[in-house]
Amino acid sequence: MEPGGSSGVGSVNSGTYTPEIAESLRFEEEIQSLIDPSFDASSAAGGSFTALLGLPANQAVELLHHPGPGEPPASAASSSPIAGDLWRLRLVEQHAVTDTLRLPFGCSSTFPSDAALVERAARFSVFATDDSPASSSGGGLSPELKAEPPDSHSPPTLPVPAEKPRRPSKRKECEKSKAKAVAKKSKSAEENTSAAKPAAEENTSGDKLPYVHVRARRGQATDSHSLAERARREKINARMKLLQELVPGCSKITGTALVLDEIINHVQSLQRQVEFLSMKLAAVNPRIDFSGLDHILSAECGPLAMGSGCGGGASDPATWASETAASTGGIRRMPPPQQIWHLDLVHPQQSSTVWENNGAAHPHFLLSPATSLVGYDPASSVPLNSNQLKTEL
Amino acid sequence: MLAFRFLRALTLVHRTTPNSSNAARSRRIQRAAFASMAYSAGPRRAWSRALLCRFHFHRARRRCAGRSRTAGVPRRPSTTGSPADGLRRLVPGGTEMDYCSLLEETADYIRCLSKQVKLMQSIVDSVGPGGR
Repeated sequence: MEPGGSSGVGSVNSGTYTPEIAESLRFEEEIQSLIDPSFDASSAAGGSFTALLGLPANQAVELLHHPGPGEPPASAASSSPIAGDLWRLRLVEQHAVTDTLRLPFGCSSTFPSDAALVERAARFSVFATDDSPASSSGGGLSPELKAEPPDSHSPPTLPVPAEKPRRPSKRKECEKSKAKAVAKKSKSAEENTSAAKPAAEENTSGDKLPYVHVRARRGQATDSHSLAERARREKINARMKLLQELVPGCSKITGTALVLDEIINHVQSLQRQVEFLSMKLAAVNPRIDFSGLDHILSAECGPLAMGSGCGGGASDPATWASETAASTGGIRRMPPPQQIWHLDLVHPQQSSTVWENNGAAHPHFLLSPATSLVGYDPASSVPLNSNQLKTEL
Repeated sequence: MLAFRFLRALTLVHRTTPNSSNAARSRRIQRAAFASMAYSAGPRRAWSRALLCRFHFHRARRRCAGRSRTAGVPRRPSTTGSPADGLRRLVPGGTEMDYCSLLEETADYIRCLSKQVKLMQSIVDSVGPGGR
Protein backbone atom coordinates (compact mmCIF):
# COMPACT_ATOMS: atom_id res chain seq x y z
CA MET A 1 0.00 0.00 0.00
CA GLU A 2 2.68 2.34 0.97
CA PRO A 3 4.89 1.81 -2.02
CA GLY A 4 1.92 2.13 -4.31
CA GLY A 5 0.95 5.34 -2.73
CA SER A 6 4.41 6.68 -2.77
CA SER A 7 4.87 5.65 -6.33
CA GLY A 8 1.71 7.39 -7.25
CA VAL A 9 2.80 10.42 -5.40
CA GLY A 10 6.22 10.19 -6.85
CA SER A 11 4.95 10.40 -10.36
CA VAL A 12 3.34 13.66 -9.54
CA ASN A 13 6.32 14.91 -7.67
CA SER A 14 7.41 17.28 -10.34
CA GLY A 15 4.03 18.92 -10.46
CA THR A 16 1.76 19.60 -7.62
CA TYR A 17 3.03 17.36 -4.95
CA THR A 18 2.16 18.44 -1.49
CA PRO A 19 1.98 16.50 1.70
CA GLU A 20 -1.74 16.80 1.53
CA ILE A 21 -1.93 14.72 -1.54
CA ALA A 22 -0.10 11.96 0.21
CA GLU A 23 -2.47 12.28 3.13
CA SER A 24 -5.45 12.08 0.87
CA LEU A 25 -4.07 9.10 -0.88
CA ARG A 26 -3.61 7.32 2.36
CA PHE A 27 -7.12 8.25 3.48
CA GLU A 28 -8.57 7.10 0.28
CA GLU A 29 -6.95 3.76 0.28
CA GLU A 30 -7.80 3.10 3.88
CA ILE A 31 -11.40 3.89 3.30
CA GLN A 32 -11.43 1.87 0.17
CA SER A 33 -10.17 -1.05 2.11
CA LEU A 34 -12.93 -0.46 4.63
CA ILE A 35 -15.58 -0.50 1.96
CA ASP A 36 -14.34 -3.44 0.09
CA PRO A 37 -12.19 -5.89 1.95
CA SER A 38 -11.20 -7.42 -1.30
CA PHE A 39 -10.10 -4.12 -2.54
CA ASP A 40 -6.57 -4.21 -3.61
CA ALA A 41 -5.20 -0.92 -2.64
CA SER A 42 -2.11 -1.29 -4.66
CA SER A 43 -3.97 -2.28 -7.74
CA ALA A 44 -6.45 0.47 -7.19
CA ALA A 45 -3.71 2.87 -6.61
CA GLY A 46 -2.16 1.59 -9.69
CA GLY A 47 -5.51 1.87 -11.34
CA SER A 48 -7.57 4.91 -11.66
CA PHE A 49 -5.95 7.28 -9.28
CA THR A 50 -2.48 6.78 -10.58
CA ALA A 51 -4.01 6.74 -13.96
CA LEU A 52 -5.45 10.07 -13.12
CA LEU A 53 -2.12 11.13 -11.88
CA GLY A 54 -0.60 9.39 -14.79
CA LEU A 55 -2.12 12.06 -16.86
CA PRO A 56 0.17 14.93 -17.13
CA ALA A 57 -0.35 16.95 -14.06
CA ASN A 58 -1.47 19.96 -15.96
CA GLN A 59 -4.23 17.96 -17.61
CA ALA A 60 -5.49 16.81 -14.28
CA VAL A 61 -5.33 20.33 -13.02
CA GLU A 62 -7.17 21.49 -16.06
CA LEU A 63 -9.74 18.84 -15.52
CA LEU A 64 -10.33 20.03 -12.05
CA HIS A 65 -10.12 23.69 -12.78
CA HIS A 66 -12.23 23.72 -15.86
CA PRO A 67 -15.46 24.40 -14.07
CA GLY A 68 -14.10 27.59 -12.73
CA PRO A 69 -11.78 29.19 -15.21
CA GLY A 70 -12.46 32.68 -14.07
CA GLU A 71 -11.05 32.42 -10.64
CA PRO A 72 -7.30 32.70 -10.45
CA PRO A 73 -6.32 29.90 -8.22
CA ALA A 74 -3.55 30.67 -5.87
CA SER A 75 -1.06 27.91 -5.83
CA ALA A 76 -1.72 26.95 -2.25
CA ALA A 77 -5.40 27.19 -2.73
CA SER A 78 -5.24 25.23 -5.90
CA SER A 79 -3.39 22.35 -4.47
CA SER A 80 -5.76 21.64 -1.66
CA PRO A 81 -8.84 21.73 -3.80
CA ILE A 82 -7.09 19.49 -6.21
CA ALA A 83 -6.44 17.11 -3.39
CA GLY A 84 -9.94 17.36 -2.13
CA ASP A 85 -11.45 17.08 -5.54
CA LEU A 86 -9.21 14.31 -6.59
CA TRP A 87 -10.24 12.47 -3.50
CA ARG A 88 -13.87 13.03 -4.24
CA LEU A 89 -13.43 12.25 -7.84
CA ARG A 90 -11.88 8.97 -6.91
CA LEU A 91 -14.86 7.98 -4.84
CA VAL A 92 -17.30 9.30 -7.28
CA GLU A 93 -16.06 7.67 -10.38
CA GLN A 94 -15.86 4.37 -8.67
CA HIS A 95 -19.58 4.23 -8.23
CA ALA A 96 -20.25 4.03 -11.87
CA VAL A 97 -21.22 6.50 -14.42
CA THR A 98 -24.83 5.62 -13.87
CA ASP A 99 -24.70 7.10 -10.43
CA THR A 100 -23.55 10.43 -11.66
CA LEU A 101 -27.00 11.68 -12.30
CA ARG A 102 -27.77 11.17 -8.67
CA LEU A 103 -25.19 13.64 -7.69
CA PRO A 104 -26.88 16.85 -8.63
CA PHE A 105 -29.99 15.85 -6.83
CA GLY A 106 -28.51 14.19 -3.82
CA CYS A 107 -25.50 16.31 -3.10
CA SER A 108 -25.20 19.41 -1.15
CA SER A 109 -23.26 22.24 -2.56
CA THR A 110 -20.03 21.02 -1.09
CA PHE A 111 -19.52 18.95 -4.21
CA PRO A 112 -20.28 21.56 -6.70
CA SER A 113 -18.14 20.56 -9.56
CA ASP A 114 -18.53 16.88 -9.22
CA ALA A 115 -21.08 16.43 -11.91
CA ALA A 116 -19.08 18.39 -14.41
CA LEU A 117 -15.94 16.71 -13.30
CA VAL A 118 -17.39 13.31 -13.62
CA GLU A 119 -18.68 14.08 -17.05
CA ARG A 120 -15.29 15.07 -18.18
CA ALA A 121 -13.66 12.26 -16.36
CA ALA A 122 -15.93 9.84 -18.07
CA ARG A 123 -14.53 10.98 -21.34
CA PHE A 124 -11.23 9.58 -20.41
CA SER A 125 -11.41 5.91 -21.19
CA VAL A 126 -9.18 5.04 -18.27
CA PHE A 127 -11.90 5.91 -15.86
CA ALA A 128 -14.60 4.15 -17.73
CA THR A 129 -12.95 0.83 -17.22
CA ASP A 130 -12.60 1.31 -13.56
CA ASP A 131 -16.16 1.39 -12.51
CA SER A 132 -16.32 -2.32 -12.00
CA PRO A 133 -14.78 -2.58 -8.57
CA ALA A 134 -17.08 -1.69 -5.79
CA SER A 135 -19.68 -0.29 -8.07
CA SER A 136 -22.33 -2.16 -6.24
CA SER A 137 -20.85 -1.52 -2.88
CA GLY A 138 -21.89 1.29 -0.71
CA GLY A 139 -24.05 3.27 -2.94
CA GLY A 140 -25.60 4.35 0.25
CA LEU A 141 -22.23 4.77 1.83
CA SER A 142 -21.03 7.17 -0.78
CA PRO A 143 -22.98 10.15 0.40
CA GLU A 144 -21.75 9.52 3.86
CA LEU A 145 -18.25 9.17 2.58
CA LYS A 146 -18.62 12.32 0.63
CA ALA A 147 -19.93 14.03 3.67
CA GLU A 148 -16.87 12.99 5.58
CA PRO A 149 -14.09 14.63 3.61
CA PRO A 150 -15.51 18.07 3.87
CA ASP A 151 -15.46 17.74 7.59
CA SER A 152 -11.95 16.49 7.58
CA HIS A 153 -10.66 18.91 5.04
CA SER A 154 -12.97 21.63 6.04
CA PRO A 155 -11.15 24.83 6.84
CA PRO A 156 -8.78 25.18 3.94
CA THR A 157 -10.81 23.48 1.32
CA LEU A 158 -14.41 24.33 1.89
CA PRO A 159 -14.41 28.07 1.49
CA VAL A 160 -12.43 27.88 -1.67
CA PRO A 161 -14.50 25.27 -3.43
CA ALA A 162 -17.56 26.98 -2.14
CA GLU A 163 -16.53 30.25 -3.67
CA LYS A 164 -14.80 28.97 -6.69
CA PRO A 165 -17.51 27.20 -8.57
CA ARG A 166 -20.29 29.57 -7.87
CA ARG A 167 -21.00 30.00 -11.52
CA PRO A 168 -20.92 26.35 -12.25
CA SER A 169 -23.16 25.76 -9.27
CA LYS A 170 -25.61 28.14 -10.81
CA ARG A 171 -25.21 26.34 -14.06
CA LYS A 172 -25.68 23.08 -12.31
CA GLU A 173 -28.76 24.36 -10.61
CA CYS A 174 -30.00 25.43 -13.95
CA GLU A 175 -29.32 22.00 -15.35
CA LYS A 176 -30.90 20.49 -12.30
CA SER A 177 -34.01 22.51 -12.66
CA LYS A 178 -34.02 21.99 -16.38
CA ALA A 179 -33.96 18.31 -15.76
CA LYS A 180 -36.68 18.79 -13.22
CA ALA A 181 -38.77 20.71 -15.67
CA VAL A 182 -38.30 18.11 -18.30
CA ALA A 183 -39.14 15.42 -15.84
CA LYS A 184 -42.20 17.27 -14.76
CA LYS A 185 -43.22 17.73 -18.30
CA SER A 186 -42.90 14.08 -19.03
CA LYS A 187 -45.12 13.07 -16.16
CA SER A 188 -48.22 15.07 -15.58
CA ALA A 189 -47.41 16.38 -12.17
CA GLU A 190 -50.44 18.24 -11.03
CA GLU A 191 -49.81 17.66 -7.40
CA ASN A 192 -46.52 19.42 -7.66
CA THR A 193 -48.00 22.73 -8.69
CA SER A 194 -48.97 24.02 -5.32
CA ALA A 195 -45.75 22.96 -3.66
CA ALA A 196 -43.50 23.70 -6.55
CA LYS A 197 -44.97 27.00 -7.53
CA PRO A 198 -43.30 29.04 -4.81
CA ALA A 199 -40.07 27.19 -5.48
CA ALA A 200 -40.50 27.68 -9.16
CA GLU A 201 -41.15 31.34 -8.78
CA GLU A 202 -38.12 31.65 -6.60
CA ASN A 203 -36.12 29.72 -9.15
CA THR A 204 -37.27 31.77 -12.05
CA SER A 205 -36.50 34.95 -10.25
CA GLY A 206 -33.07 33.83 -9.19
CA ASP A 207 -31.92 32.10 -12.35
CA LYS A 208 -30.39 34.51 -14.76
CA LEU A 209 -29.12 32.05 -17.32
CA PRO A 210 -31.21 31.41 -20.39
CA TYR A 211 -33.02 28.14 -20.54
CA VAL A 212 -34.95 26.31 -23.11
CA HIS A 213 -38.50 27.49 -23.19
CA VAL A 214 -40.73 24.57 -22.58
CA ARG A 215 -44.40 25.00 -23.13
CA ALA A 216 -45.29 24.25 -19.58
CA ARG A 217 -43.55 26.74 -17.42
CA ARG A 218 -41.31 25.63 -14.67
CA GLY A 219 -43.11 24.24 -11.69
CA GLN A 220 -46.53 24.64 -13.26
CA ALA A 221 -48.99 22.06 -14.31
CA THR A 222 -48.73 20.65 -17.76
CA ASP A 223 -52.36 19.73 -17.97
CA SER A 224 -54.04 20.83 -21.14
CA HIS A 225 -56.84 22.35 -19.12
CA SER A 226 -54.56 24.42 -17.00
CA LEU A 227 -52.60 25.51 -20.04
CA ALA A 228 -55.73 26.74 -21.71
CA GLU A 229 -56.85 28.40 -18.52
CA ARG A 230 -53.55 30.12 -18.12
CA ALA A 231 -53.68 31.40 -21.68
CA ARG A 232 -57.18 32.68 -21.10
CA ARG A 233 -56.16 34.39 -17.90
CA GLU A 234 -53.29 36.07 -19.67
CA LYS A 235 -55.61 37.29 -22.38
CA ILE A 236 -57.95 38.72 -19.83
CA ASN A 237 -55.14 40.42 -17.99
CA ALA A 238 -53.85 41.97 -21.18
CA ARG A 239 -57.23 43.37 -22.01
CA MET A 240 -57.72 44.69 -18.53
CA LYS A 241 -54.45 46.52 -18.92
CA LEU A 242 -55.64 48.09 -22.16
CA LEU A 243 -58.81 49.20 -20.50
CA GLN A 244 -56.89 50.66 -17.62
CA GLU A 245 -54.91 52.73 -20.05
CA LEU A 246 -58.04 53.94 -21.76
CA VAL A 247 -59.81 55.01 -18.65
CA PRO A 248 -58.09 57.99 -17.08
CA GLY A 249 -56.93 57.51 -13.55
CA CYS A 250 -57.40 53.78 -13.64
CA SER A 251 -53.81 52.70 -13.82
CA LYS A 252 -53.17 53.47 -10.19
CA ILE A 253 -55.96 51.29 -8.96
CA THR A 254 -55.07 47.78 -8.00
CA GLY A 255 -57.66 45.09 -7.86
CA THR A 256 -59.97 43.98 -10.59
CA ALA A 257 -63.23 44.86 -8.89
CA LEU A 258 -62.28 48.48 -8.39
CA VAL A 259 -60.97 48.76 -11.89
CA LEU A 260 -64.19 47.36 -13.25
CA ASP A 261 -66.15 49.84 -11.19
CA GLU A 262 -64.06 52.63 -12.54
CA ILE A 263 -64.61 51.45 -16.09
CA ILE A 264 -68.33 51.26 -15.54
CA ASN A 265 -68.31 54.76 -14.15
CA HIS A 266 -66.42 56.01 -17.12
CA VAL A 267 -68.77 54.43 -19.63
CA GLN A 268 -71.74 55.84 -17.78
CA SER A 269 -70.26 59.29 -17.72
CA LEU A 270 -69.55 59.15 -21.44
CA GLN A 271 -73.09 58.12 -22.21
CA ARG A 272 -74.43 60.89 -20.01
CA GLN A 273 -72.23 63.35 -21.82
CA VAL A 274 -73.64 62.21 -25.14
CA GLU A 275 -77.11 62.73 -23.84
CA PHE A 276 -76.33 66.17 -22.51
CA LEU A 277 -74.64 67.29 -25.68
CA SER A 278 -77.47 66.01 -27.78
CA MET A 279 -79.82 68.11 -25.69
CA LYS A 280 -77.67 71.10 -26.36
CA LEU A 281 -77.53 70.39 -30.03
CA ALA A 282 -81.24 69.96 -30.19
CA ALA A 283 -81.76 73.39 -28.75
CA VAL A 284 -79.24 74.95 -31.04
CA ASN A 285 -79.97 74.90 -34.65
CA PRO A 286 -76.46 74.66 -35.87
CA ARG A 287 -75.72 77.38 -38.33
CA ILE A 288 -72.51 75.77 -39.07
CA ASP A 289 -69.81 78.02 -40.36
CA PHE A 290 -67.64 76.67 -42.98
CA SER A 291 -64.56 77.57 -41.05
CA GLY A 292 -66.05 76.01 -38.00
CA LEU A 293 -66.71 72.87 -39.87
CA ASP A 294 -63.17 72.94 -41.03
CA HIS A 295 -62.14 72.87 -37.42
CA ILE A 296 -64.39 70.05 -36.45
CA LEU A 297 -63.60 67.80 -39.29
CA SER A 298 -59.91 68.42 -39.29
CA ALA A 299 -59.85 67.73 -35.62
CA GLU A 300 -61.74 64.55 -36.01
CA CYS A 301 -60.33 63.09 -39.16
CA GLY A 302 -58.15 65.26 -41.31
CA PRO A 303 -57.47 64.11 -44.79
CA LEU A 304 -60.12 61.49 -44.66
CA ALA A 305 -62.73 64.18 -44.86
CA MET A 306 -61.99 64.72 -48.49
CA GLY A 307 -63.13 61.33 -49.45
CA SER A 308 -66.82 61.41 -49.73
CA GLY A 309 -68.83 58.57 -51.00
CA CYS A 310 -68.67 58.10 -54.65
CA GLY A 311 -70.44 54.88 -55.07
CA GLY A 312 -73.80 54.82 -56.59
CA GLY A 313 -75.33 52.96 -53.71
CA ALA A 314 -77.17 55.17 -51.30
CA SER A 315 -77.67 53.84 -47.87
CA ASP A 316 -80.77 55.91 -47.32
CA PRO A 317 -82.56 56.14 -50.58
CA ALA A 318 -85.61 57.38 -48.79
CA THR A 319 -83.88 60.42 -47.43
CA TRP A 320 -82.33 61.13 -50.74
CA ALA A 321 -85.67 61.06 -52.40
CA SER A 322 -87.16 63.37 -49.83
CA GLU A 323 -84.28 65.71 -50.14
CA THR A 324 -84.44 65.96 -53.84
CA ALA A 325 -88.13 66.52 -53.62
CA ALA A 326 -87.78 69.27 -51.08
CA SER A 327 -84.96 71.08 -52.71
CA THR A 328 -85.45 74.22 -54.62
CA GLY A 329 -84.28 74.50 -58.15
CA GLY A 330 -81.79 77.24 -57.65
CA ILE A 331 -79.75 75.28 -55.29
CA ARG A 332 -79.46 72.14 -57.21
CA ARG A 333 -77.24 72.74 -60.05
CA MET A 334 -76.14 69.21 -60.36
CA PRO A 335 -78.44 66.56 -59.07
CA PRO A 336 -76.43 63.59 -60.30
CA PRO A 337 -73.26 64.49 -58.44
CA GLN A 338 -75.35 64.79 -55.35
CA GLN A 339 -76.25 61.21 -55.51
CA ILE A 340 -72.69 60.36 -56.15
CA TRP A 341 -71.61 62.37 -53.17
CA HIS A 342 -73.18 60.11 -50.76
CA LEU A 343 -71.71 59.53 -47.43
CA ASP A 344 -70.81 55.96 -47.94
CA LEU A 345 -67.24 56.99 -48.52
CA VAL A 346 -66.55 54.03 -50.65
CA HIS A 347 -64.27 55.54 -53.21
CA PRO A 348 -62.45 58.53 -51.93
CA GLN A 349 -60.16 58.71 -54.91
CA GLN A 350 -62.89 59.08 -57.40
CA SER A 351 -64.63 61.64 -55.37
CA SER A 352 -61.69 63.99 -55.49
CA THR A 353 -62.13 64.51 -59.18
CA VAL A 354 -65.78 65.13 -58.66
CA TRP A 355 -64.91 67.66 -56.07
CA GLU A 356 -62.64 69.49 -58.43
CA ASN A 357 -65.30 69.69 -61.06
CA ASN A 358 -67.76 71.16 -58.71
CA GLY A 359 -65.47 73.26 -56.63
CA ALA A 360 -67.86 76.11 -56.35
CA ALA A 361 -70.69 73.99 -55.23
CA HIS A 362 -69.04 72.29 -52.32
CA PRO A 363 -69.74 74.44 -49.37
CA HIS A 364 -73.17 74.94 -50.62
CA PHE A 365 -73.89 71.28 -50.54
CA LEU A 366 -72.27 71.02 -47.25
CA LEU A 367 -74.27 73.59 -45.45
CA SER A 368 -77.57 73.63 -47.06
CA PRO A 369 -80.02 71.50 -45.18
CA ALA A 370 -81.66 70.58 -48.38
CA THR A 371 -78.72 68.55 -49.38
CA SER A 372 -77.12 65.87 -47.38
CA LEU A 373 -73.79 66.48 -45.93
CA VAL A 374 -71.05 65.24 -48.08
CA GLY A 375 -67.86 66.69 -46.84
CA TYR A 376 -65.86 69.77 -47.13
CA ASP A 377 -63.46 71.31 -49.46
CA PRO A 378 -60.64 73.23 -47.93
CA ALA A 379 -60.55 75.37 -51.00
CA SER A 380 -61.84 78.78 -50.19
CA SER A 381 -64.92 78.95 -52.27
CA VAL A 382 -67.01 80.26 -49.49
CA PRO A 383 -67.70 83.82 -50.57
CA LEU A 384 -69.33 82.65 -53.76
CA ASN A 385 -72.03 80.85 -51.98
CA SER A 386 -72.43 82.69 -48.78
CA ASN A 387 -75.45 84.58 -49.99
CA GLN A 388 -76.98 81.38 -51.13
CA LEU A 389 -76.35 79.89 -47.74
CA LYS A 390 -78.15 82.70 -46.11
CA THR A 391 -81.14 82.21 -48.25
CA GLU A 392 -81.20 78.58 -47.40
CA LEU A 393 -80.86 78.86 -43.71
CA MET B 1 -66.19 59.11 -41.01
CA LEU B 2 -67.91 59.62 -37.76
CA ALA B 3 -68.07 63.34 -38.34
CA PHE B 4 -69.69 63.01 -41.72
CA ARG B 5 -72.36 60.71 -40.61
CA PHE B 6 -73.14 62.58 -37.51
CA LEU B 7 -73.28 65.98 -39.11
CA ARG B 8 -75.48 64.71 -41.80
CA ALA B 9 -77.78 63.10 -39.35
CA LEU B 10 -77.79 66.25 -37.27
CA THR B 11 -78.80 68.44 -40.12
CA LEU B 12 -81.40 65.93 -41.11
CA VAL B 13 -82.92 65.97 -37.71
CA HIS B 14 -83.08 69.72 -37.68
CA ARG B 15 -84.61 69.86 -41.03
CA THR B 16 -87.24 67.22 -40.63
CA THR B 17 -88.49 68.18 -37.21
CA PRO B 18 -88.55 71.89 -36.96
CA ASN B 19 -91.74 71.89 -34.95
CA SER B 20 -91.15 69.23 -32.38
CA SER B 21 -89.96 69.94 -28.92
CA ASN B 22 -86.40 70.06 -27.88
CA ALA B 23 -86.68 66.89 -25.89
CA ALA B 24 -87.87 64.81 -28.79
CA ARG B 25 -85.22 66.28 -30.97
CA SER B 26 -82.54 65.59 -28.45
CA ARG B 27 -83.68 62.03 -28.32
CA ARG B 28 -83.38 61.76 -32.04
CA ILE B 29 -80.04 63.41 -32.01
CA GLN B 30 -78.82 61.03 -29.40
CA ARG B 31 -80.03 58.16 -31.44
CA ALA B 32 -78.34 59.61 -34.46
CA ALA B 33 -75.14 59.87 -32.50
CA PHE B 34 -75.21 56.22 -31.58
CA ALA B 35 -76.19 55.25 -35.07
CA SER B 36 -73.32 57.13 -36.58
CA MET B 37 -71.01 55.56 -34.04
CA ALA B 38 -72.21 52.12 -34.97
CA TYR B 39 -71.94 52.78 -38.67
CA SER B 40 -68.47 54.12 -38.44
CA ALA B 41 -67.30 51.25 -36.29
CA GLY B 42 -68.53 48.84 -38.86
CA PRO B 43 -69.93 45.34 -38.54
CA ARG B 44 -66.68 43.99 -37.23
CA ARG B 45 -67.50 44.92 -33.70
CA ALA B 46 -70.04 43.08 -31.63
CA TRP B 47 -71.33 46.20 -29.95
CA SER B 48 -71.86 48.02 -33.22
CA ARG B 49 -73.69 45.03 -34.61
CA ALA B 50 -75.91 44.97 -31.58
CA LEU B 51 -76.61 48.68 -31.92
CA LEU B 52 -77.42 48.39 -35.60
CA CYS B 53 -79.71 45.49 -34.94
CA ARG B 54 -81.46 47.54 -32.37
CA PHE B 55 -81.96 50.41 -34.75
CA HIS B 56 -83.09 48.33 -37.64
CA PHE B 57 -85.48 46.05 -35.88
CA HIS B 58 -86.90 48.44 -33.37
CA ARG B 59 -87.39 51.33 -35.64
CA ALA B 60 -91.10 51.21 -35.09
CA ARG B 61 -90.70 51.00 -31.38
CA ARG B 62 -88.40 53.90 -30.85
CA ARG B 63 -89.23 54.33 -27.28
CA CYS B 64 -88.11 50.87 -26.39
CA ALA B 65 -84.87 51.36 -28.19
CA GLY B 66 -84.36 54.68 -26.48
CA ARG B 67 -85.04 53.24 -23.07
CA SER B 68 -82.85 50.23 -23.50
CA ARG B 69 -80.07 52.30 -24.85
CA THR B 70 -79.77 54.90 -22.17
CA ALA B 71 -77.39 54.45 -19.30
CA GLY B 72 -79.99 55.21 -16.71
CA VAL B 73 -79.93 51.67 -15.41
CA PRO B 74 -79.05 51.82 -11.74
CA ARG B 75 -75.92 49.93 -10.99
CA ARG B 76 -76.53 47.14 -8.57
CA PRO B 77 -73.70 45.91 -6.38
CA SER B 78 -72.08 42.99 -8.08
CA THR B 79 -72.01 40.65 -5.12
CA THR B 80 -74.01 38.04 -6.92
CA GLY B 81 -72.97 36.74 -10.25
CA SER B 82 -69.94 37.69 -12.20
CA PRO B 83 -68.25 41.01 -11.56
CA ALA B 84 -68.84 42.17 -15.09
CA ASP B 85 -72.62 42.35 -14.88
CA GLY B 86 -72.79 46.12 -14.69
CA LEU B 87 -70.53 46.34 -17.68
CA ARG B 88 -72.66 43.93 -19.61
CA ARG B 89 -75.66 46.12 -19.15
CA LEU B 90 -73.86 49.19 -20.32
CA VAL B 91 -72.15 47.92 -23.40
CA PRO B 92 -74.59 47.12 -26.19
CA GLY B 93 -74.69 43.44 -26.87
CA GLY B 94 -72.77 42.73 -23.73
CA THR B 95 -75.10 40.16 -22.32
CA GLU B 96 -74.19 37.50 -24.82
CA MET B 97 -70.45 37.81 -24.70
CA ASP B 98 -67.88 35.96 -22.72
CA TYR B 99 -65.80 37.93 -20.31
CA CYS B 100 -62.77 38.13 -22.52
CA SER B 101 -64.51 39.58 -25.53
CA LEU B 102 -66.56 41.79 -23.26
CA LEU B 103 -63.40 43.53 -22.16
CA GLU B 104 -62.28 43.97 -25.72
CA GLU B 105 -65.63 45.34 -26.81
CA THR B 106 -65.67 47.68 -23.86
CA ALA B 107 -62.34 49.10 -24.87
CA ASP B 108 -63.50 49.73 -28.39
CA TYR B 109 -66.79 51.13 -27.18
CA ILE B 110 -65.06 53.55 -24.87
CA ARG B 111 -62.81 54.71 -27.67
CA CYS B 112 -65.71 55.31 -29.99
CA LEU B 113 -67.78 57.00 -27.32
CA SER B 114 -65.02 59.41 -26.49
CA LYS B 115 -64.61 60.24 -30.18
CA GLN B 116 -68.29 60.94 -30.43
CA VAL B 117 -68.28 63.10 -27.35
CA LYS B 118 -65.36 65.09 -28.67
CA LEU B 119 -67.09 65.59 -31.96
CA MET B 120 -70.30 66.75 -30.41
CA GLN B 121 -68.46 69.02 -28.06
CA SER B 122 -66.60 70.63 -30.90
CA ILE B 123 -69.81 71.16 -32.82
CA VAL B 124 -71.34 72.84 -29.86
CA ASP B 125 -68.27 74.95 -29.42
CA SER B 126 -68.13 75.91 -33.06
CA VAL B 127 -71.71 77.00 -33.10
CA GLY B 128 -70.73 79.35 -30.38
CA PRO B 129 -72.52 80.96 -27.50
CA GLY B 130 -74.73 82.87 -29.85
CA GLY B 131 -76.44 79.77 -31.04
CA ARG B 132 -79.49 80.16 -28.88
